[in-house]
Amino acid sequence: MSDEQPFILSVADADIDLLNKKLQLVRWPDELQGADWDYGSPLTDIQRLVARWKDGYDWRKVEAEINELPQFTRDIKVDGFGALNIHYVHQKSTVKNAIPLLFLHGWPGSFLEVRKVLPILTEASADHPSFHVVAPSLPGFGPSEGQHKPEFDGSKYAEVVNTLMLTLGYTEYVVQGGDWGSFLGRKLAAQYGSTSVKAWHTNYPNVQQPPSLLRFPSLYLAHLFTPYTASEKAGLERTKWFLSTSRAYFQEQATKPQTIGYTFADSPVALLAWIYEKLVQWTDGYPWTDDEVLTWISVYWFSRAGPAASVRIYYETVTTGEYHTLPWSPVPCGLSYFPKELVVAPRAWARTIGNVVFESAHESGGHFAAHEKPVELVADVRDMFRKGGPAFGVVGGRTGYD
Amino acid sequence: MSEQPFKVSVSDADLDLLRRKLDLVRLPDELEDVGWDYGTPLSDVKRLVARWKDGFDWRKAEEKINEFPQFTRDIEVDGFGTLNIHYLHQKSAVENAVPLLFVHGWPGHFLEAQKIIPLLTSASGEHPSFHVVALSLPGYGFSEAPTKKDFGLAQYAEVANKLMLALGYNEYVAQGGDWGHAISRTLAELYGHKYVKAWHTNFPFGTAPSLTKNPFRYLLYMVTPYSAEERAWLAQTVKFQQTGAGYNRLQSTRPQTLGYSLADSPVGLVAWIYEKLVTWTDGYPWTDDEVLTWISIYWFSRAGPAASVRIYMEVAKDRAKGTLGTRYSTIPLGLSYFPKELVRVPQAWARTLGNVVQESLHEHGGHFAAYERPEELSDDVRKMFAKGGPAHGVVPGKNGYA
Repeated sequence: MSDEQPFILSVADADIDLLNKKLQLVRWPDELQGADWDYGSPLTDIQRLVARWKDGYDWRKVEAEINELPQFTRDIKVDGFGALNIHYVHQKSTVKNAIPLLFLHGWPGSFLEVRKVLPILTEASADHPSFHVVAPSLPGFGPSEGQHKPEFDGSKYAEVVNTLMLTLGYTEYVVQGGDWGSFLGRKLAAQYGSTSVKAWHTNYPNVQQPPSLLRFPSLYLAHLFTPYTASEKAGLERTKWFLSTSRAYFQEQATKPQTIGYTFADSPVALLAWIYEKLVQWTDGYPWTDDEVLTWISVYWFSRAGPAASVRIYYETVTTGEYHTLPWSPVPCGLSYFPKELVVAPRAWARTIGNVVFESAHESGGHFAAHEKPVELVADVRDMFRKGGPAFGVVGGRTGYD
Repeated sequence: MSEQPFKVSVSDADLDLLRRKLDLVRLPDELEDVGWDYGTPLSDVKRLVARWKDGFDWRKAEEKINEFPQFTRDIEVDGFGTLNIHYLHQKSAVENAVPLLFVHGWPGHFLEAQKIIPLLTSASGEHPSFHVVALSLPGYGFSEAPTKKDFGLAQYAEVANKLMLALGYNEYVAQGGDWGHAISRTLAELYGHKYVKAWHTNFPFGTAPSLTKNPFRYLLYMVTPYSAEERAWLAQTVKFQQTGAGYNRLQSTRPQTLGYSLADSPVGLVAWIYEKLVTWTDGYPWTDDEVLTWISIYWFSRAGPAASVRIYMEVAKDRAKGTLGTRYSTIPLGLSYFPKELVRVPQAWARTLGNVVQESLHEHGGHFAAYERPEELSDDVRKMFAKGGPAHGVVPGKNGYA
């Protein structure tokens, strides 16, 4: 099955049955009095979510709604790893010359993060550019096959998604992403900047140190002489919170992904507690409904490669050193700043991430910008690529307007 | 409630729930040929689960555990009410044996002492004898767990000390590794001289001498180069921090989130603990039943396995406050160095832990020294308190000889 096949998400009855059986046998931990969020996901929240999962949450209904998205699979060959069958959402705009945009999710996100931005990005109008959108499930996530061998590092993830775009006929395209989608955006700009990647945008300018004099002399000077704004100071506090108290998941996933993987594969409650903690702490007061949460977790629980596969990307990119040594690229880059992101770098720091031609700051929103602030995020992307915008016309023959 | 004899007796309902969960185990996949690089290997976990389902006889294991004299009693803890504490208490035939408190750590338990107990309590004119008390720390084994926040080192030490006093051991010595080290050190700081007369640890982890804290040691340290061996030790420590300490960070910041995994998934618990049993020991030839007994003590623990990891967070809070672990106690301290310990620091650093009167270096053994190298550890402890030894007769009237 090499070529594109239309894809309908259809979890086997046996898998739903196993989940239900496990939910019936949940064994709960205790909890300290007044713990609230101090020690991790609160017991009341998890118990409420499990009760809903057992009784009331309708996966088949959710599945039908997901299947309203135009989904496909195709085999993508990866140098040294054979072919992986990759799942993706592909929605064309009615605007023939729409800009091809590769939307990349991260962890614990999924292709579903494209849902709210998809209709807006593809919308046709004389007043703003339009996009053809491709939103793959990264290898090992959602319905995409996972790699089977070690050393499938960031360059391989980049290769997969780049090949996908080329295979779809998008020889030149732009990238938008947060979380791993941000890392991959930067990686793609470096790896394919001279060929296929013409611009990239991220809502996660993950820069953890100030500009150095040697590498970024003018940014260094600007940083030296410009005091931080109030929001930059708040951003540094948020960053400090994240790096000093909330990064254990990263360290575990980057060093022992298999060990923690057993709990994800075997216990729906374990997976729920692990991911739910991020959904709440990484967003800006986003009013998650229980069903919304359960859907995000179900995508992991029912994923093709199993939930343990999804965290190997941490191990591979950190062990190779890639994670901390992403190269700078001259490909135009756009940044959106959301105050409840995990690393909220001051502007002078963030501008070292690439050839920053566009910036936009927001008063609210967190890590999952496409899900929390779809309208704002798309407005930013449109502004970057519109007529008169800093990245207008980067893709030859596809300005986003007919 | 005063002392009650205790026998481990897991309910049929608990055994049944475990069995039903084991029947529903869902395992992750694994990358090809990665051995232990990504965490606990799948083949090991599969084998252990298969044995746990069919072949491992918990009732038989229980009987063996119950050959040890066990008790429970209520201990009042300032600000935390009463905790019912489980412990093993083996007296020597030598009336004036030295009372010794053995303190386990994580993922250890009271029966880590099972091999040293017959050695330490044996009566002989050739070496001192000990009355041994091995408690289950609050939240471990068959002891109750605290129900309120901030149960830190001072509280663990309070429980241990009150237990010894309640048993009539007004003066005693302490031995421990892992948390047993930190708790023994706290016992020395809080109750040294008054109740605790000496302590020994197989986890000789001290920080570098500082000019303000240990001026004499600092000066000596500044002029004494590290041996090649000590440099290798430090490299080993750094490697552990970089690749093996994810569990520590997780348990120190999100113990509740992890707790759902440990409580609900027997295979998750196996993978989590077995990883340590293998990687922290020096080629110890674990049998599957030995491993399963060890893990079952966590699975069937009175407070549930989630309670056992909170100590990391509570002690992290202690350390942030900086009040404990800073005072130097002058009671005699013995150190045993085992080559596969997790963190290895130069002896000059270890000597800042206290009034070091004995140091023993070993060629074999790892983190669970009492269990892996019982003869060596018992010899070290005996030497320390033997006639002519550096801590002989520290407990008045109980020098270990008839």
